[in-house]
Amino acid sequence: MKISKKIIDNLKKGGVDFYLSVPCKLLANMIDILEKDKDVYYSAVPREEEGMGICAGAYLGNKFPCIMMQNTGIGNSVNAIVSLLQLYQMPVVFLISYRGTPGEPVGAQGGMAKITEDILQTLRIPMLHCSSENDLEKISTFSKHAKVVESPVAILCDFNLMKDDK
Amino acid sequence: MNRFDLLNKIQNILKDNLVICNIGLPSQELYKINDQPNFFYMLGSMGLSSSIGLGLSLSQNKHVISIDGDGSVLMNMNTLATIGNRAPSNYTLLIIDNGSYGSTGDQRTFTDENTSLKDVAIGAGCKNVVECSGDETVNELSKAIEDQNNSYVIISKINSGNVKIDPIPLNPITIRDRFRKFIGIVKYL
Repeated sequence: MKISKKIIDNLKKGGVDFYLSVPCKLLANMIDILEKDKDVYYSAVPREEEGMGICAGAYLGNKFPCIMMQNTGIGNSVNAIVSLLQLYQMPVVFLISYRGTPGEPVGAQGGMAKITEDILQTLRIPMLHCSSENDLEKISTFSKHAKVVESPVAILCDFNLMKDDK
Repeated sequence: MNRFDLLNKIQNILKDNLVICNIGLPSQELYKINDQPNFFYMLGSMGLSSSIGLGLSLSQNKHVISIDGDGSVLMNMNTLATIGNRAPSNYTLLIIDNGSYGSTGDQRTFTDENTSLKDVAIGAGCKNVVECSGDETVNELSKAIEDQNNSYVIISKINSGNVKIDPIPLNPITIRDRFRKFIGIVKYL
């Protein structure tokens, strides 16, 4: 819970006040925290691409949105990211559980893991890669950066960082 | 009645509300009929008009009308479930259902065969799902906006067919900023 709490605290410190998620077991603690938090909006959504659209609307309505998802969700969302969030220069934070990184027990997750950073790089999305607890301190500044540059940004949280967050 | 006729009929209702308009011909036709700063024209991301409008209605209090099409809703049907569970009362989804992919050359969609978006929306949990003719749409849309306690999904069944029209000349940041200025967020314009 300590890691998840620190991530949410830093996102909130960075101004994020609207959260969506497509669930992942590594995000479960964060979802629990957000469901009890009366200061911010939280909802699950069935699919990441749709979440990008809801985040775009939330930004138009003056919220600072974050969508939490597995890295696989980036694959589901490429067109929405490019032809909506980037075209209209909308700041949105992607909080990504980085499945398929070392510690991952499910071999099939390795495929998307191998290309996740390449996709984000191709999309010119600024990345913050969190592999240790110390990295989490950077989340608030990095989130504010999304607003400054009017762009989606991606925070990648490694499997091993999240897995023991009891 | 085709989409251009319908948009003409409802333009007076639209001009007082926040409107998210679907990519392609719907946006181009609306722009030609009566461009307004409170119209957000989609220039990409087909399928997401309903979702963008939902996020907007959850974030501020003005009434939001998402203008979507049958082809676009078929592309993003999962969002009907999100609407069915999360839509606030300042949200109306208007699906202009002409059974056709109008912007790409009028190929038939599945709503012209076996699929009923009304049944899908009800099954997805949406409340106040109304299927009506183009002529009835003005009345149904007015009722939806006046009702401050409920969200609506209106499926307007019209004919396919388009008018000859140019692309929207506005750049995306102009569309974004004048829209946010109308809401009261952007101060520098």
